[in-house]
Amino acid sequence: MTAVLEASRRQTAAAGARNVRRQRLRVAVRHAILIGWTIVILFPIYWMIATSFKEKHEWVAWPPHWLPHDFTIKNYTQIFVFDVAEKGVAREATEQPFNVWGPLADSLLICIVSALVALLLGTFLAYTISRFNVGGKHFRHAILMIRMVPPIVIAIPLLMYYAIMIPLAAETVLGTRLILFDTRVGVSLIYIATTLPFVIWMMLTFIEEVPYTLEHAARMMGAGRIYTLRRVVLPLVASGMVVTFLFVFILNWAEFLLALTLTHPDVVTLPVLLNKFQSASEGRLFGPQAAIGTIITIPVVILGILIQKHLIKGFSFGTIRK
Amino acid sequence: MAQIVLKDLVKKFGAQTAVNGVNLHVRDGEFLIMVGPSGCGKTTTLNMISGLERPTSGEVVIGEQVVNDLEPGERDLGMVFQDLALFPHLSVYENIAFGMRVKKLADAEIDRRVRAAAEAMHIEKLLAKRPAQCSGGESQRVALARTIVTNPSVFLMDEPLSSLDAKLRVDMRTELKRLHARLKSTFVYVTHDQAEAMTMADRIVVMSGGVVEQVGGPLDIYRRPATQFVAGFFGTPTMNFLAGEIAARAGGLEFASPNLRQPLADGLPASLAGRKVVLGVRSEHVEVGHGTGQGRVQLIEPLGDGTLVFFEFGGDAPLVAKVDAETALRPGDNLTFGFNPAGYHVFDAQSGARLN
Amino acid sequence: MRPPWRRLGAWLAQERVFRLIPFVAVETIFVLVIIIPFLLTVYISFLKWRANRPFEQAYLSGFENYQQVLTDPGFWAALGRTFYFAGAAVALELVIGFVLAMLVARTVRGRGLYITILLVPMMIVPVVVGYNFTMIYIDSGPLNQLLAPFLEAFGIDPRVRWLSDPIAAQWAVILADVWQWTSLTFLIFLSGFSALPKQLINAARVMGATAWQIFWRVELPLLRPAIVIAVVIRSMEALKIFDPVVLLTAGGPGTSTQSIAFYLWEQVWVFNKFSFGAAASIVLLVIFATLIFFGIYLLVRQSATVARRIGP
Repeated sequence: MTAVLEASRRQTAAAGARNVRRQRLRVAVRHAILIGWTIVILFPIYWMIATSFKEKHEWVAWPPHWLPHDFTIKNYTQIFVFDVAEKGVAREATEQPFNVWGPLADSLLICIVSALVALLLGTFLAYTISRFNVGGKHFRHAILMIRMVPPIVIAIPLLMYYAIMIPLAAETVLGTRLILFDTRVGVSLIYIATTLPFVIWMMLTFIEEVPYTLEHAARMMGAGRIYTLRRVVLPLVASGMVVTFLFVFILNWAEFLLALTLTHPDVVTLPVLLNKFQSASEGRLFGPQAAIGTIITIPVVILGILIQKHLIKGFSFGTIRK
Repeated sequence: MAQIVLKDLVKKFGAQTAVNGVNLHVRDGEFLIMVGPSGCGKTTTLNMISGLERPTSGEVVIGEQVVNDLEPGERDLGMVFQDLALFPHLSVYENIAFGMRVKKLADAEIDRRVRAAAEAMHIEKLLAKRPAQCSGGESQRVALARTIVTNPSVFLMDEPLSSLDAKLRVDMRTELKRLHARLKSTFVYVTHDQAEAMTMADRIVVMSGGVVEQVGGPLDIYRRPATQFVAGFFGTPTMNFLAGEIAARAGGLEFASPNLRQPLADGLPASLAGRKVVLGVRSEHVEVGHGTGQGRVQLIEPLGDGTLVFFEFGGDAPLVAKVDAETALRPGDNLTFGFNPAGYHVFDAQSGARLN
Repeated sequence: MRPPWRRLGAWLAQERVFRLIPFVAVETIFVLVIIIPFLLTVYISFLKWRANRPFEQAYLSGFENYQQVLTDPGFWAALGRTFYFAGAAVALELVIGFVLAMLVARTVRGRGLYITILLVPMMIVPVVVGYNFTMIYIDSGPLNQLLAPFLEAFGIDPRVRWLSDPIAAQWAVILADVWQWTSLTFLIFLSGFSALPKQLINAARVMGATAWQIFWRVELPLLRPAIVIAVVIRSMEALKIFDPVVLLTAGGPGTSTQSIAFYLWEQVWVFNKFSFGAAASIVLLVIFATLIFFGIYLLVRQSATVARRIGP
């Protein structure tokens, strides 16, 4: 009996060792593939940042320089300076100056204001939907459907609406010519309208995490509606509001199609600015473009990583635990 | 200290009637428990007393006042909710102090009363903690402290113990009874657990389908249930029910069913002959070992202080008898059985109303 | 005792009014900014509005515009192309995202870090993605540098102008989309994998199933809701592709990378064909609405399945 036992013990040990090797190999392959994709992800971003620090002659050099040979911050200084007349970065007389302050201000203003307004309106509406069932059973789904429409389908109507209809209507009714085209207000309005569904949807989940009995309890103890909202509900959804605000801000920041359609030439958002560099006559100005791209991207990536946990929760029905 | 009177209280939600004409008089200082299955309307009634729901019609009188138009916060009530409703973002101290901060009392006064309430509920050590850091029992006591700190005349409780585990539940029951004895306030308590109702109540209100089936002390309800529903709701194991009819017999009336005939006690009017009825007999009133019935044992459940014997006798359902723990009966044995006439409950088969 | 202005009646009136205020406000915005423009577009779609003539000179012309749209080869070509882009991109995203999710779900070390990095592309502004890939695809870009050994071996000049070739340009757009949105399918699948009930898998192991069998017969069917959700969500979004197209190729070379969104935009913005654009928008809306309804139907069915499985 012992001989059989010994033999089986040796066999198990050998199989165990093989399994360990196989397991290690599997883990190694897994990590290799994941690291490979990570490189694929990080590479374009790195390339953009690297390009933003390159001199002009390095932008399209062959073979391409993986690290800038002449590190420079000229691309950044150029776009931050008001007027550019330097040699080599010439521009057509009809082109806009390449400075970034204007678009930066426009983008920040529009994105922050739209996000705030959408947040406030949407949160209130979400509260009334949750507590009073305003709008009926399927209201929240109906609202989300608005978001599903491709932006091009509203961009064209809006263009005509803003540029022609409203001025006409205003002129006939009020006597003044009111144009919404190429205005910050016009763009903000449509941003608010398209992000409201998200705000409502997200705030609904946050508000519904606050049990209604808490408000009952407060009411039992004599608190009025406003007091309850201020001291009981708001503190508990505050973090949710921050996340929603950041999410909507990121959406507005990245928005391109509507901004492109509805603004020219006064209001320029950063994505539109990035696109403008294509029309330069000296070929593409990759350096400044890279600088703008970096300015556009880095804040958003940082914000995105901050709220990543909540994005995950939203898309995963709460099953992923990091 | 206040009495509560409910007059013809009705509450409709759209087409559904949750409470259909409830009349109730809660005596000053008593521990009244409203009990019934889910959906019977007990919580809705409680919410109308508290003011969280407005009655469709009828009156709620607390003390001497009709309070229909008063806000919950103006009725001098304390309420404990099923999920306790402790504010998670406030400390235990601030939770207890909430009602007083709303009324803008002075800090010193608030401090004094919060500490007094915390001492009364033995939670002084928890004052700085958050509700999330407290155990189930501790959270219960915090919720109670929050209600007693305002010294209300009436305490309302909506199934406060249902989230606790079995042992904790039993401990808290005693604690609540002690609290009631000490404060001498009126307690109105809602539960679906009949054992809770039996152990804690001065009086029980049994509700079903939006109406009151019976009001009375625990023993009254147990010994003289007014309807078949009440009879079946209270008591473990559930009362045995036999369907049949009343037949006239020489010398009186008897209960006749396909498998069993039992003489009924005097005192029942002869006009009942021919009525279709349901006979109810509790397990402790089924006597095994003598009688005219024949049965076969299906199952034995030893309880420790007694044994339940489940047996079938040819009727629709098996009967349960409670016998001595030392019984020698085993599944498959034959037995004879009879009923103790003192334990008869005769209900009309259609309305469920008691007839004897 | 109680101030008169706190009477219960006042409260109720407040509540009844109070709760409708946000509703009215939001609906007003929607009506003003979305419904009315939409209705106006319908009106315009029936006008014959010459490009550079003022609006006042336009006149109703029945379904002529719709006829134009429906017979316009550019429109249908762009639409078909868009479906092709979306199909190829979504297919790749599904496969890669699935594999990535499967790998990450089984990794222990560095899981959090991988997840953080793998989700970054979703957060990059799409315009910037377009720009980034421009840099990579140009004839003296790193892509060609990496491929140089292969190309030179075949005697081809490594400085390939990918974006000048119609087919290569199309794939450039597709790959840009894949780069960015694989993160989303990855996320959806990762949540699917995390939600797999361990007990089911253990039961299968006890019954002697091999890893492959477990994968095919247990895990894959359980992942079906996640797959459907990923397909629906990504497909609907992919059909709207616009930003990378503008940055990478501006629709070129020729019209080979014009997505439907780009095509429409060009018609209105560059060629000023307003009534044509209006009619085309309506047609596109109808097409998309059907797809959306179908997609939502699928989504709701699958979400219900997932919710039931995970429980309250």
